[in-house]
Amino acid sequence: MDQKDRIDETDEIDQTDQKMEASRQPEPQLRLEDLRPRVPEKKKFSDWFMPRRNQVILFDPAKCTGCGTCEMICSTRNVAKVAPSQASVKVLTDEKLGKSFAVLCQHCRRPLCLEACPTRAIEKGDDGIVRINDLFCVDCGLCTMACPEAAPLRDPANQVVHKCDLCEGDPLCVKHCPEKALTTTRGKALRWIKAARWGVQALSFLFLVILVVGTFCYFRAGTVELSCPTGTLQNIASSGTLILVGASSALALLILTVLFGRVFCGWVCPFGFVLDLVDKITPKKIGWPNFLKSRMAKYGVLGGAVGSSAALGFQAFCTVCPIGTLCRSYGVQSVMQSAELAIVPILAATEIAERRSWCRYLCPVGATMGIASLLRLLKIVIGARKCKKFSCIQCAEVCPVGIIDADQLREGVSPKIPMTECIMCLRCVDRCPYSAAKVRFRWQKATPGEANQ
Amino acid sequence: MKPRHDKIEEAKKLSGAPGCVECGRCVAACPMAEMYVNFGIEMSPRGIIKKALVGDNIVEDRNIWYCTECNSGTDACPQGVSCRDLIRKLREAAIEENLVADARQCGSCGRYFLAVPVENFVFGRLEKEPANVLKALETCPSCRREIYLLRNA
Repeated sequence: MDQKDRIDETDEIDQTDQKMEASRQPEPQLRLEDLRPRVPEKKKFSDWFMPRRNQVILFDPAKCTGCGTCEMICSTRNVAKVAPSQASVKVLTDEKLGKSFAVLCQHCRRPLCLEACPTRAIEKGDDGIVRINDLFCVDCGLCTMACPEAAPLRDPANQVVHKCDLCEGDPLCVKHCPEKALTTTRGKALRWIKAARWGVQALSFLFLVILVVGTFCYFRAGTVELSCPTGTLQNIASSGTLILVGASSALALLILTVLFGRVFCGWVCPFGFVLDLVDKITPKKIGWPNFLKSRMAKYGVLGGAVGSSAALGFQAFCTVCPIGTLCRSYGVQSVMQSAELAIVPILAATEIAERRSWCRYLCPVGATMGIASLLRLLKIVIGARKCKKFSCIQCAEVCPVGIIDADQLREGVSPKIPMTECIMCLRCVDRCPYSAAKVRFRWQKATPGEANQ
Repeated sequence: MKPRHDKIEEAKKLSGAPGCVECGRCVAACPMAEMYVNFGIEMSPRGIIKKALVGDNIVEDRNIWYCTECNSGTDACPQGVSCRDLIRKLREAAIEENLVADARQCGSCGRYFLAVPVENFVFGRLEKEPANVLKALETCPSCRREIYLLRNA
């Protein structure tokens, strides 16, 4: 008996031990995320009106002689002696090209080094300066590995990492550059084009939708005749005859497109105005799956619209065209018209996926103008030299049709803009703090002395 | 080519590894603890110093490829042992013997400039970035600056 009891006891002990083992959770390991949580950047009230403009150093390679004064003066701040290898700026000279270039921190809006730092030593202050906190930095050099420009410099001799902190707002290198190749700026955005565009859009909405019924599709006042180019194409297809008067009236808009690009889409189109308004209340975008993103689809829609008019004998597409239904909507006269109007909220709802989804992928009116804009006189350039590329990327963020390639900017290349897709809203020109985005004539170079884009 | 033993001896001499008193300060200061979930004694500077002191097979050990070559262990050491220098010399020896499974070659100049686990950590932190950005990061810093110069100057 005794023995059996003892066995039972040991069994019990074993069981409780096992239970203890099972119930014992692996102790949560304290990580830096817990000790020093990253505070998300707060959006101030004033940011809604004026985006925060942070100080950056601009570098002009045309003026740089490669003298290395910036390196020397920078190292005096870092290590209190003149030692160019310990500076936060590096001057590179290409012997073949005979050109010099200063690599320095651009104080990115979304710094990659900050993400990569294993000890959370890199912080972005409220003033936009990206600093290395010496208390936590262990000189591992991962920030150098994460930077597209490799701007945090690691001294090869003693492996200490130095990174520009803009001398807390008053950079020594800028002060001492003998050729004034380095300058400091806070950027200067135009900001008035935005107000002008909203004004023009609201006025044209008022005029096309509320004041005159059926204006955009066909408009006649005395001898002045204007009509929708896509509607005219369908008209020609359905009637089978070339109506010269109608064709010439449609030409007016096409000539406007040839002169200024697709300004109609960006500044006049009433449905575009509705989409822009809807965009204001849906700031978060969910995006389309990739297989739906075909910018050529709108040319297919255009072909389908013209083809169906030829087959059916009337302009079938025009009954569901959102621009047309919107223009004809004021003073709804029949059940049919109000039913047609349902297309407007349906297409406006696509705004939750991407900005101006309709204009990007489907609009046949835009397609007609896109074809016309092959003969355009103007182009938009994003100048390689002034552009801050991966550290800024504001133009790609504001572009409503998403034709500015943010990936190219992130790589450090100035993007080319497909002008048949550009709706000439000039948001990029308005927003660019360094006046790198500009309107140019087609045959002009991007900036003086720069390769033609 | 020098035999492996001589190179390890040289590395030990240069870094002062025989002076190690196994206090573990370098392990406490090491950022690898934050970087890798499987951080352990084999990977830690103290473990590598110990293994280097007892034998020559440390060169084949893949644990030497986790280090970021930072200064924290050297700064913390009361004996002035530089684990960074030791590991760097060991890596050089490994590259000379073509044990480069964990070494990352620069896409442009072909130099071995980074260890693969370290790169994986950086890319893990930057996983939200698009693929072309990460591809641009596969060159060594000096080549990257050179490419940047050619694009912008």
